[in-house]
Amino acid sequence: MRESEIVDMVSRKLTPYILLLGLYLISFGHLSPGGGFQGGAVLATGVIQLALARGVKETRDLFPLRRFNLVETAGFFLFLLIGTIGMFAGLSFLGNFLPIGTPGRIPSAGFIFFLNLVIGLKVGAGVSLICLYIMEEG
Amino acid sequence: MGRIAKGAATALLVAALAVVLVSTLDLDSGPPADLKNHLYYHGSEQTGSINLVSAIYLSYRAFDTLGETVIMLLSVVGAATVLGDRE
Repeated sequence: MRESEIVDMVSRKLTPYILLLGLYLISFGHLSPGGGFQGGAVLATGVIQLALARGVKETRDLFPLRRFNLVETAGFFLFLLIGTIGMFAGLSFLGNFLPIGTPGRIPSAGFIFFLNLVIGLKVGAGVSLICLYIMEEG
Repeated sequence: MGRIAKGAATALLVAALAVVLVSTLDLDSGPPADLKNHLYYHGSEQTGSINLVSAIYLSYRAFDTLGETVIMLLSVVGAATVLGDRE
């Protein structure tokens, strides 16, 4: 593929901001539109853009597949762990064991923030992994 | 002959689908008003989340979300198995 100075420059400058936007969507998921799945998709967008502009190999050097796999698997077990803590706290499985607080304040909504965080990182890692695997073949 | 049979089968299938879709067409349908109102008026104070979408998928239906994460994990495992590095 032919190198393009503009695509190269823009994608490298833009990727950190895309990742930042994804983290914002994840961490404000209980306050504003957004959430784990949406933010995770945005995170993956940043990685995919980098892979499209710079090539899969360089992206894999920056974001090793092993680490993505680790995040993906650890996210699932963290989700299960958070759900099980609810059982031991005397609630149901996946019961909200943290104080709920006032809706709208920054520390509020109990464990929704943490579940959003786990799901966001997991979805971001998962979608990036699938796309990197597919783009590597071509 | 094959083409006619295929066309007839397609027409039959479309007609059956149309019957099913029309019979379920109900202009007054939608989520039950009780449930909708309960989530709208009490969702935020019960879960602490202003974003009601987050409130539903991580609190009322968190078990559903667990299933979705399993689907995500399985799809990654599938992609890694089919397309991943063969060492």
